[in-house]
Amino acid sequence: MTLEDIIHDDCDSALLKLWIAKVPYATFLGIQAVVCQNDILFTLPADKNLIGNPSIEALHGGVVGAFMEQSAAFHVIAKMERPVLPKTINFSLDYLRPAHLRDTYAECLLTRQGRFITNVTIIAWQEHKNKPNAIARAHFLTPETERKESTNATMGPK
Amino acid sequence: MPILNNDQKYNLVKIMNDHIPHTALLGVQLECVEKEELTLRLPYQEVLVGDTATGALHGGALTVLLDQTLGMATVCCDTAKPSITPTLDLRIDHLSVAPAGMDILACAKVYKSTRKILFVEGFAYCESKDKPIAKATGSFVRVGDVDLSWLVPSTQQEP
Repeated sequence: MTLEDIIHDDCDSALLKLWIAKVPYATFLGIQAVVCQNDILFTLPADKNLIGNPSIEALHGGVVGAFMEQSAAFHVIAKMERPVLPKTINFSLDYLRPAHLRDTYAECLLTRQGRFITNVTIIAWQEHKNKPNAIARAHFLTPETERKESTNATMGPK
Repeated sequence: MPILNNDQKYNLVKIMNDHIPHTALLGVQLECVEKEELTLRLPYQEVLVGDTATGALHGGALTVLLDQTLGMATVCCDTAKPSITPTLDLRIDHLSVAPAGMDILACAKVYKSTRKILFVEGFAYCESKDKPIAKATGSFVRVGDVDLSWLVPSTQQEP
């Protein structure tokens, strides 16, 4: 069974866990996800294997980016009326502060859901959400035929 | 006149590359340095797969490789002294899917350096640079010079 076989409506924390298990790289990074208050909180637990700069014990910037990109993809799937696997078109990442060896969190916002393209904003933080370590924006290709029309571009429930 | 010759750049980048725990774990290796362009190799491995239906590498794995390649390309730039250069921003265009079972190469080069900022461009590809899988554009901030005193004299003595 691939991820595509288990993406369906009514995403909950147990289903998110199954999704992560179906993506080898998400499992490798140790990504976790829980549904809380109609939103999804993604966590990248601290892991020495993810260090990019040993002198200040900072996580590899690419890993923080990878975590945010994967979070955005899961978020898109979870918010779709009829989920399909989204394809990343591009990903743009601003590094604001180094991510240290501690848990990193990410939340995503569907900024705009078009017929083919979904724009997602991602914020990642460690200490506090108002002190983000990185912000990112991703565009995903989501085939029109597989989706119901939706104009809901908020974080709220489906 | 370049600050470092090709061999010196190669030695410096190799040491830097091999000291990064995460990419050492992934087996990211320095492939070559040619003038101002640097190439790294990411060996294909199943833990990096994003889509088990196709075996394609995860976009995030390309982000890791490209971030590192662009960051290291800053020390190969002939118009700026090698510096510690954290990433300011990085943009990746996913141009095609990484084929299953294939190592990924990434090359990068600084296309403009200023006193504080280095603008870098790079590509990830498999067989040929003409068929890129992803394109990356990034800017890097110079926060401090790299001490080269150990590197330059020792390598200059070599024939």
